[in-house]
Amino acid sequence: MKKILPPLIPFVAVTVLVEALVRGGFVPSYLVPAPSAVLRALMDNRAELATAMGKTSAAAFLGFALSTLAGIGTAIALSSSRAIQRSLYPYAVFFQTVPIIAIAPLLVIWFGYGMQTVIACAFIVSIFPVIANTLTGLLSTDPALRDLFRLYGASPGVTLVKLRFPAALPQILTGLRVASGLAVIGAVVGEFIGGEGLGSVVDVARTQQRVDKVFAAVLLASVLGLALFGLINLISALTLRHWHASEQA
Amino acid sequence: MHRISRRAFLAAAPALLGSCGKRNRIRLALNWKPDPQFGGFYAAPYQKHGLEVDILPGGAGTPTVQMIGAGSAEFGIVSADELVLARSRGNDVVAVFAVFQNCPQGIMAHASRHLASIGDVLQEGTLAIQRGLPFARLLEKKYGFEHVKVVPSPGGDISAFLRDEWFAQQCFVMSEPLQARHAGVDVTVFPVADIGYNPYTTVLAASGAQISRDAGLVKSMVSAVREGWRSYLDNSKPTNTRMHERNPSMDLATFEEVAQAQKPFIDTRETAQAGLGVMTAERWKTLITQLAELGDVPQAFPAQDCFRNF
Repeated sequence: MKKILPPLIPFVAVTVLVEALVRGGFVPSYLVPAPSAVLRALMDNRAELATAMGKTSAAAFLGFALSTLAGIGTAIALSSSRAIQRSLYPYAVFFQTVPIIAIAPLLVIWFGYGMQTVIACAFIVSIFPVIANTLTGLLSTDPALRDLFRLYGASPGVTLVKLRFPAALPQILTGLRVASGLAVIGAVVGEFIGGEGLGSVVDVARTQQRVDKVFAAVLLASVLGLALFGLINLISALTLRHWHASEQA
Repeated sequence: MHRISRRAFLAAAPALLGSCGKRNRIRLALNWKPDPQFGGFYAAPYQKHGLEVDILPGGAGTPTVQMIGAGSAEFGIVSADELVLARSRGNDVVAVFAVFQNCPQGIMAHASRHLASIGDVLQEGTLAIQRGLPFARLLEKKYGFEHVKVVPSPGGDISAFLRDEWFAQQCFVMSEPLQARHAGVDVTVFPVADIGYNPYTTVLAASGAQISRDAGLVKSMVSAVREGWRSYLDNSKPTNTRMHERNPSMDLATFEEVAQAQKPFIDTRETAQAGLGVMTAERWKTLITQLAELGDVPQAFPAQDCFRNF
């Protein structure tokens, strides 16, 4: 209860305020929907929204999983040598600066309409924080411990698996937390162009000037982001609680 | 001294404001980049009618109808169906000048498919269309989308169309088909009006509050716009050059071609008698009946409130 109450108070306050403003006629409902109208839109369109949510979830999750694997893999490769890092890291930064909305139509041409394009969008948008944070983590292993491993003649592979990777976990998980939200954004943007899912629902509802339905779909997208975020927090709690200060308080 | 001058200023303020108000500064929100469908708005002699108009170009999804309602633009370009929907959601927006008397919306397919009607387009392949638009939903209701793969509309981009013979897409009948032919692809075009759906398009609209507050200003605006369209229809070149500077992505030759091709949609037998941009209650009623069939508005939705001829 102590954990749930603090975030619940501002939520209820804002909801009540918006409802009052719209009902009182201070804000027209075609600009901001009343929370009760959003709730009704959620109920009335539950079948359509559930299907859309399923598609967006799958695409966001797969895009996120791909950036986790590729991001961590890339960071390990980059951390293996200064030369590789210097020559390749600038291109990793490139992913962060890609204006996804501008290249999304090209993705449709490369991958076709449908889920592949949506996954690609989620992947492109979310990979950079994984690379950057994992790299920082891998490069900041305690020098004393590294010396110890060297002293005992541990191979680079063993050092990576037993020391550098576990020590980098807090940073890696931070990268994944940032990436989880971005993956959902990337998926929804991809769906605007590639079709299907919550992005498509938003697009159609916007054309029909159904602000309530737009907000209902946006709400579900945030729930999805929160769920991914929660998953990372769970992994974080399970892996870090025995040794890292961030999970012990 | 200081006090006196201040008082004098306050006394003079209304007069000063009055003289500033002679030229009314007005914002006109477009729902796309400068192109021939807005030619008359760029050609209009606003100054002559005591107006100073800032034209705000838009892009895909610019919510002009909400902008008018929220007061972030005094005038905006909307389509008739969009306006009826907005009114049904409590947004008091009123049409005052309809540029396209006949809907230029259509669907284009590759001519090599030898399709005979709009229904045939929906029998196989891919169709890029904005699913939320009333005409798309009417098509779905009439023919069903079971046999065709429906994907989001890529706006004015025809690259997917050019690469795939089985790809059809929504278009402005005087715009994208032209681009496709330039790219060497022969196309068949099916106007949406073929299925009886023919709302006014590129409609100048203002809020009901604005009209009741200052009908004179709206009248000046409509007069300026009507003159603008007349002169654009008669000679589009100078305006096209100006619009091309603001939207270089469309080349000047295309500007000219589209301006010629769109003429029959704007200058019709009705407008020859009643004047450019004029609307009838009959047409609005037909549209409302169609939207009511889709369940968007109640059957008894009043048509006469949707528009006002100036």
